[in-house]
Amino acid sequence: MSRNGIAWLGIFAATGLVLGACATPPPSDDPEAVADHERINDPLEPANRAIFFFNRGFDTLLLRPLAGFYGGLIPPPIREGVHNALANLQAPVILFNDLLQGETDRAWTTASRFAVNTTAGLGGLRDPATGMGYPRHEEDFGQTLATWGADEGPYLMLPLLGPSNSRDAVGIAVDFLVDPFNWWAHSTGRRAVAYARGAMRAVDLRARNDAILADLERSSLDHYAALRSLYRQRRADEIRNGGLDGPPDGPGTGRLDGPAPDPDAKVSRITDSF
Amino acid sequence: MIIRRRFLIVFAAFALLVVAPCPAPANSGDEGRFIESMAEKAIDLLTDLDRPRDERMTIFRGILNDHFAVEAIGRWVLGRYWNRATPEEKAEYLALFEDLIVVTYVDRFSEYAGEHLEIVGSETIGEADLMVHSLLKRPGDGQQVRVDWRVRAAGQGASYRIYDVIVEGVSMAQTQRSEFGSVISREGRSVAGLLDVLRRKTSDLGKTTR
Repeated sequence: MSRNGIAWLGIFAATGLVLGACATPPPSDDPEAVADHERINDPLEPANRAIFFFNRGFDTLLLRPLAGFYGGLIPPPIREGVHNALANLQAPVILFNDLLQGETDRAWTTASRFAVNTTAGLGGLRDPATGMGYPRHEEDFGQTLATWGADEGPYLMLPLLGPSNSRDAVGIAVDFLVDPFNWWAHSTGRRAVAYARGAMRAVDLRARNDAILADLERSSLDHYAALRSLYRQRRADEIRNGGLDGPPDGPGTGRLDGPAPDPDAKVSRITDSF
Repeated sequence: MIIRRRFLIVFAAFALLVVAPCPAPANSGDEGRFIESMAEKAIDLLTDLDRPRDERMTIFRGILNDHFAVEAIGRWVLGRYWNRATPEEKAEYLALFEDLIVVTYVDRFSEYAGEHLEIVGSETIGEADLMVHSLLKRPGDGQQVRVDWRVRAAGQGASYRIYDVIVEGVSMAQTQRSEFGSVISREGRSVAGLLDVLRRKTSDLGKTTR
């Protein structure tokens, strides 16, 4: 591992030590409060909130202004091209995870997309594959672990990377390690290119979601808790592969079971109130 | 006269067919049309920014109360704390909960101009609920957002009420419940603390001019 990588690991570890305080569990004579505490699945909440505070500072000072300049100054067709190219670079990792999940149809779609968009799509700047019946989808190793039956583990707020959990954090590391782009950048000494790509992905993602994030911050009563709930529900949905980008005969019923974090019977609760 | 009598019988039978109240909304398309007509109405009326914001808020409140089971959602969102609240707290909470939805969503609709909600289908979930699947389509770039509506027949088989809206797998009720729960536990596990925060938030958002 590079010296840089070790330094980063050190910072992570130090952050963990300093902020390692656990959330105070509710008094055990209040079983409902204990159940709530377990359902929220955030035993490191104080540390997570501190990291969230740091991330928000980073966002306010650097990422949001950068994304603002990017969204405001760069014409939409160029931004679309950049977005397509970044998505195309992600294809090998998506293919890797499609295969590990045994999703051969989706793996074929990913491979075809990569072939078409890299050539006819001018190195990925354009996305003719979608029009040819190979629509875009995402996969990552966190989802692969989930399909293998791994539990999400405690919710984590990662420095700079944002909302996650122990399973998805492992996923991020594995996806990074298997990405051929990173091998290439590492073996040819072009580490700066890998960093630039990471920064571009962050700016692209931030710019595309600017309105939603601003709205969430504006309207939420507890920004941290709203984001936590949103992240967990979105991940559960992604792991079920949503619905409509799956088989064309309509969405399956799997995703109607309600998000995993809160399996208690909503239907009967609402009925009770009548 | 025979012709006229036959005509009358046919007419009566026809009228019976058309007017006869359905015992239950058995028609699988009804719930889809319910959502579709509501969305059309909302997009029509609320994306017109020539209307002052106050007027749009009044319209939105009307649509909300006509189509959503606001009180039942509010109770579910408060969860186990509902039973701990005093009658005064319950009343104030329900009023603030409705206000919060109005001030939050009235501005979101202003961004939906020209968009169209396409009903994809529906299915039965649980014992009493239907899930209506739809796509919110933007005309320009062909982007679409997956929106699912949990609905239930509103007595008498007359119409429906919406119990939850699920956008790209994210349930609005679920998110609010988790958020409200977090506020309550941070405010010393009291509903009064949540009411404080709600009062401040609704008044802040109510003042925003857009």
